[in-house]
Amino acid sequence: MLNTLKDIVRKSSIHVCLINCGGCNGCDVEVVALLSPRYDLEQYGIYVHNNPREADVILITGAVTEQWIKKIKRIYAKAPEPKVVACIGNCPLSGDVFNQEGGNVHAPVSDFIPVDAEISGCPPRPSEILEAILAVAPGAIAARGREKE
Amino acid sequence: MILPIGPIHPGLKEPLRLKLKTQGERVIDAEIDYGYVHRGIERIMEGKTWQKCIYLAERICGICSYEHTQTFAEVIEKISDVRAPVRAQLLRVITNELDRIQSHFLANSTYFKALEHETLFMYMLSLREHAMDAIEMLTGNRVNMGWNVIGGVRMDAKPAHLDQILQKLDMIEKDLDRYIEIFEQGPLTGLRSKDVGKMTRDQALKGRAVGPIGRASGLKHDLREEHHTYKDYLEFKPIWRKEGDNFARTMNRFNEIPQSVDLVRQAIRNLPEGDIRTQVDIGSGYAEWRNEAPRGEVTYMAETNGNLIKHISIRTPSIMNIESCAKYMLKDVATVSDAVATYASADPCIACAERVAIIDIEKGESSKDIFNLK
Repeated sequence: MLNTLKDIVRKSSIHVCLINCGGCNGCDVEVVALLSPRYDLEQYGIYVHNNPREADVILITGAVTEQWIKKIKRIYAKAPEPKVVACIGNCPLSGDVFNQEGGNVHAPVSDFIPVDAEISGCPPRPSEILEAILAVAPGAIAARGREKE
Repeated sequence: MILPIGPIHPGLKEPLRLKLKTQGERVIDAEIDYGYVHRGIERIMEGKTWQKCIYLAERICGICSYEHTQTFAEVIEKISDVRAPVRAQLLRVITNELDRIQSHFLANSTYFKALEHETLFMYMLSLREHAMDAIEMLTGNRVNMGWNVIGGVRMDAKPAHLDQILQKLDMIEKDLDRYIEIFEQGPLTGLRSKDVGKMTRDQALKGRAVGPIGRASGLKHDLREEHHTYKDYLEFKPIWRKEGDNFARTMNRFNEIPQSVDLVRQAIRNLPEGDIRTQVDIGSGYAEWRNEAPRGEVTYMAETNGNLIKHISIRTPSIMNIESCAKYMLKDVATVSDAVATYASADPCIACAERVAIIDIEKGESSKDIFNLK
């Protein structure tokens, strides 16, 4: 009974922290577009507030630059369990166009922290980002919450 | 005391560290740390062909991605001594102005979010989607379009596309006046915006402020006046204000939106039939080209050897605007929340502002003191 109630609460209230660890901003703009009345992220119980200390889902955009190598691990450690990490765009997956000779990036982000979902595209459409978050986050958060107990 | 904000903070959308020196609640000085998104684009571009570089140029900044490809294409066209066909030039103007509309909506929405005015924030984002739809209709993608090529544009616009763009512009215009009135005549938004974060004309000149931020402080300068397409085919007059506070910067961006709508209509009216792309033999030499991006002037200085890019240097508007924000606007602001609003009103875009990262190999960390290198 209590567990079912906890599952429902965990599934219907998802707090999101967006971390740009060295990208072109395009994916961040598409996440901001998700807040607009057309997509209305908050009707699914998702709330973007950019605070790692109370995040359930960490969204990562950008190829990891030199400054972010240590910081990304620290921010991941700060987020409370259960947490889910989703990568948006090609940058955190492969480094995209920046991962060439002369570039100053250390992609993929999965070298530094565990990644649960990957959304490719440069940038992916807002509807794809929303679909991926909804497909992965509620189930995974509830399952991890139970594991921990 | 020193109040650090960022790099990850609920008030900021992009990674940057803002150090505010405060006395009680009053902010007396500010310092800004960069370096979180340095990717080394200029260095990657060296020794590559333009086909590869134009994609890199597009990914300097995700908000004004279009203007970077146009400036890159035009600097190579200048080296090769060709000009795109008239139809391509006007199609470039249409996309450029649509991009400006969405960027200004986004900048103002960020400012209203910093003011905690949720209603206007939502209104701005809702209108912005119309501009994004128009861009997608014309170029095929929302953010990174890959639409410019050397000597023209990649795809032609059909009359059906242009009709739909005009419809979208009508939808933007229908609601825009009401929203501007909500901001302009609202007593509380006025109280939070007027006389906050003031920058005089002399300070703007000293800080090299460009774009709407400079124009709101009385610098009557818009590079679109000097661009050949605007000069030859379109009627255009820069919009500027005298006050130099948060209110003026936001209103300046608001007033540029109807102007951009008008420019798109003029361009669609004057659009001639003809080619959209000419064949270009890439020349060798050095050239410099400036354009007006949504945030101010973008400069590309490039050197080619007939096929490859030998050297390229890119100057983006945000670096000057953020510096003048830290040096002049954030002096003596009444509260910390006003300081965050002032920072948002300067329309910062960190992704384009990263120029150099200096790394101390012995210590293995990035160095902040550029002038005391051994």
